[in-house]
Amino acid sequence: MIETGIIKLDDYLMGGIPNGKSLIYYTHPGVEGNVFGMQTLYHNLAAGMKCVFVASSSDPTMIIDTFKEFGWNLETYRENLIIVDAYSGLVGATSNEKYIVGDPENIDSLNETIEKVIEELDDKSVIMFESLSTIMDLCGEQKTLDAIKNWNTYGMLYEHVLIYNFTAWPYEPETLEHIKHNLFDAVITIGGIAERVIFGQYFGVLKAEWSDVKLKSMLFRVLRPGGIRIYIPKIVVTGPFDAGKSTFVHALSTRAVSVDRIGTTVALDHGHVDYKGFSADIFGTPGQERFDPIIKMLSGEAMGIFLVVDSTNTKDFVRAKQMLEITKAYGLPLVIIANKQDKSDALKPEEIRKHFNIPDSVKILPAIADKGVGVFEAFESLVNKITEVA
Amino acid sequence: MTDTINMLNKILDDTKKVGGVESAVIVSRDGLLITSNFPSSDSTRAETFAAMSATMLGAAETATTELGKGTPDRVIVESEHGKLIATGAGPKALLVVLTKLDAGLGLILVELEKAAEKIKKIL
Repeated sequence: MIETGIIKLDDYLMGGIPNGKSLIYYTHPGVEGNVFGMQTLYHNLAAGMKCVFVASSSDPTMIIDTFKEFGWNLETYRENLIIVDAYSGLVGATSNEKYIVGDPENIDSLNETIEKVIEELDDKSVIMFESLSTIMDLCGEQKTLDAIKNWNTYGMLYEHVLIYNFTAWPYEPETLEHIKHNLFDAVITIGGIAERVIFGQYFGVLKAEWSDVKLKSMLFRVLRPGGIRIYIPKIVVTGPFDAGKSTFVHALSTRAVSVDRIGTTVALDHGHVDYKGFSADIFGTPGQERFDPIIKMLSGEAMGIFLVVDSTNTKDFVRAKQMLEITKAYGLPLVIIANKQDKSDALKPEEIRKHFNIPDSVKILPAIADKGVGVFEAFESLVNKITEVA
Repeated sequence: MTDTINMLNKILDDTKKVGGVESAVIVSRDGLLITSNFPSSDSTRAETFAAMSATMLGAAETATTELGKGTPDRVIVESEHGKLIATGAGPKALLVVLTKLDAGLGLILVELEKAAEKIKKIL
């Protein structure tokens, strides 16, 4: 089993890709899909695996530069990395690689080289095709499809993992169907999304033979450097006056701003979190009732809610519940933060649950926001809730 | 899908052609960045900027409607190094531009109104 190195995707695939299996990143045009294959390759190189990169649309120096943009230095692992150069032959350049495809426009020439590489690998390895679409453009659709079948069979025999990057240009509909449903053990779709007003990119698991997860869409963004991050455009932090919402937002955020006057938030806090493969924007609301119209306006399209309460102040719990209504939080993933746990009269999370009549399905987590205690645990808990498959 | 974004980007680029406009942003009413032509190094700043602009216009709208004065056409903020103009672009979005300090508002406002109208039709 190898990991894809893409946060959450490994969970959906029940750990990663078993040896001998093939996986295709099926990308719709106009979306940054090729990063997926690159990240998977680099992740495995860094884990000490032997990897093969089949270069079809750029020469080895360009490839190394492209990886560098993401902060991934291939040269560190050069001895474990074999680049099959199926590009230089195309532009008539010379190549220093060990495996060179003489005539990249001829599928037999490519086939021969790949079979040779596979036979000569002495360990279970990861073989990644930079661009299946380029191969298809050069060698023709049907011939490429036949070759894939052959490569996958070879991969299975020698227990290698085969990863393909593919951009779904308008090829023959039958070809695309065949790729989506028959040829590979797993298909990850990557596309653009325009859901109401959120524009972005998503990936989904169309099929994975060894896992029964069907995942429609998970938003992501690509950071340079950094690679793929699960993107959560809006998490709302709400709660009564003086519960510690702004402190919470600031403690959590890599970068945050607040609009506050005399210590209380009058408009909102906005923070950005980049943590363990997640990239999220955090919106903190004011707490007092006179700001309710703004809270209502800002809480649209939230993907998850933090409700911060002052654990010492039971009077505020009523208001806290009311704020869940204002933010239309019902049905959204919710985590309650029992803040100010360092105060001597603070109620424990379970006592708050009783006072509040909160069902067991909602987590109540202890925190001391001004000391940064418990904030990241809460964040992980909420994003896991947001990204779990129903 | 991505075409919508391309159309919106075109509108933004057109507003940039008006003299004095430095950058333009389309924001959802609830403060999410839809698209911007901020320089890419500033892209995370754009999200904060989006959230703040939406709050500003939202607060202005709440303030004036509460007083029975109707909805404001726009919010203009004049600051030390330039101006910020936020205007509604349909029920879902708003359009915000940053201008140079000495930019003439007349033409900019006319062009903004046109752009807002286009955005309203697209979204």
